Formats: sequence, C-alpha cells, structure tokens
Amino acid sequence: MDRVTKTLLVIVGVMVILSPIGILLVWNYSDAWGEWDVQTVEHMVGHRLPGMEKLSTIWNHAVLPDYNVPGWEDKLHASIGYIISAIVGTALVVLLYYLLVKFIARGQSPAG
Amino acid sequence: MHIPDGYLGPYTCAFFYLIMIPIWYRAFKWLKNLKPSQVPLLGVLTAFAFLVMMYNMPVPGGTTVHIVGGTIIAILISPWAATVSLSIVLLIQALFFGDGGITSYAANVFNMGVVLPFVGYYTYKFLSERFKLNEVLSAGIGAYVGIVTAAVMAGVELGIQPYIQPGYCPYPLSVSVPAMAIAHLVTAGPAAAVVTGAVVWYVKKSRPDLFAMRTIARG
Repeated sequence: MDRVTKTLLVIVGVMVILSPIGILLVWNYSDAWGEWDVQTVEHMVGHRLPGMEKLSTIWNHAVLPDYNVPGWEDKLHASIGYIISAIVGTALVVLLYYLLVKFIARGQSPAG
Repeated sequence: MHIPDGYLGPYTCAFFYLIMIPIWYRAFKWLKNLKPSQVPLLGVLTAFAFLVMMYNMPVPGGTTVHIVGGTIIAILISPWAATVSLSIVLLIQALFFGDGGITSYAANVFNMGVVLPFVGYYTYKFLSERFKLNEVLSAGIGAYVGIVTAAVMAGVELGIQPYIQPGYCPYPLSVSVPAMAIAHLVTAGPAAAVVTGAVVWYVKKSRPDLFAMRTIARG
C-alpha cells in the first residue's frame, strides 16, 4: 500500500471518530433543501401530495434511518448513533467495492 | 442533494434508470482497467466519499449541505472510477440509512456520480492543460464547478416535476433551481474547493509520479 493510500486511511479513521461534527454543527437547522418528509412538505404547501405519499414509503427497511439508532434523540446518543452509522456504512461500502472488483476483475486476468 | 423517494414521479425515475444503463455499463467495464496497485486507493476513496457526505454544513437561511468527493476521485483515478464509487455509496446510503431513495437512485447517481465528477474533472483538465493554471487551483475550481452543476441538475429534476405530473415535488423550477444553486454556491462549493485542493496538493507532493505519469500518457 502506497503512502497516499495510508494517509487517506488515517484520514478516514479520523473522519469516523469526528463524524458527530456533521450533526452537532447543524443541530437546529432544518433538512437539506428537497429532503423533507412528506408531512413537512404537505404542511409547507398546504395541500396533499398523493404521488409523494405513495412513493415515499416504498422503502422503509433502513436499519439506521438518518444515520442514527432509532430513538436516540439527544445530542450524546445521536452522536454515538452517528459514529456507529459511520462505521457500519464504511464497512458496507468497502465490502461492496471489493466484491465488485473481485466479480468484475475475475473474468479478466488472474493477476487482478 | 440526495433526492428522496416521492419527489420524482415514475416517468422521471424511469428516464434516469434508462440513461444510467449505458453509463453503468461503461463505468463497470472501466473497472477492469483499474491497476492492482490502485485497488486499495479507490477503496479508501469510496469510504472517504461515504464519510465526507456525513459532514453536514450549515447554509445561511437554515438548511444544510455536504460535499461529495467525486472530483477528488476523478482527478486521482478517473471520472469513471468516481461513477463506480458513488454508485456503491449512494446504494448503501439509500438502503441502510434512508438517505436518498430507491426510485430516485438512478437520478442521484446521475447527479453526484456522473455530472459532478465529469464536470469537475474536465474543468480541472481544461484549466490546468489549456491555461497552464496551477493544478491545485484548477482542482479546487473544478470541484466547485462540479458540485454546483450537480446541485443545479438536481434542482432541475425536482423543479420540472410539477410540469410533468403533479402530486410529487410541488416546487417549480423558479424555486428549486435557485434554492439548490445558492446553497451550493455559498457553502458546499467553497468547501469542496478547499478539500479537493488540499488533497491534490498533498498527493502531488508525496506522489508526483501519479501526475507526471498521466501527463506523459496524455502526451
């Protein structure tokens, strides 16, 4: 592993630990534009949005919704939930990446 | 910039899945060109892209934005690598964290995994090669232009919805495009420029061969 990759690996580790900054800095802020839940949008525009109501519930199996353990609402618990999410998410993207590299490179060359 | 399920109607979602099929084909085919020595680098950059999006930043006015890391991957490896990497990240974010959506997945990959890295990369390439502008500065400007363009693209997708099919995103272009553009011009753009510039500066310093090799190859 070269020096750049090693440094980035350290940065990734630090980013996991410091991740709660990403919620604490914006604790009293609303969602990003266009990422509100259905009830909030309907309240803002003052009428119902049948299409959005139907489609928005198509996937509700997120294990750690909004990068948190459900119910961990206060700053401390939300921060711990955020770090857990950072670890789980990092592990999952790296796992999927290596599976993909292996799967796609397999038909290519034995060296890969 | 993660469009959730419900904001885009079925036609818009289907349209972006259709657009993404050939792009995914090309990007995953490109993955075969990844040198064994680059495999760990793209892996750690994929983790970086996931984590950097968790760093929400305040926008004056009360909303939040984050950066993506797509231009960094595009410059250090290839814009196609960024497409692969962000397709992975956006899938995990949608499935496990409810960030983004299933129906809007292809649209989100198009914005953050195609528009952002390609615009960022070619802006960087144009400035550094044509105008001989400093590479660090070119990378920063590229990242800025890339993320703002991607945000405007997301704004366009959201804003055309009322004209296509009502009942989904209720805000027209005149509202969605300025909202997405301003938040990214003011906060995400400068942040992306600084982070991308810093990474490129560091890599140029410790692995100048990465850049030198490419310049020779480009000839």
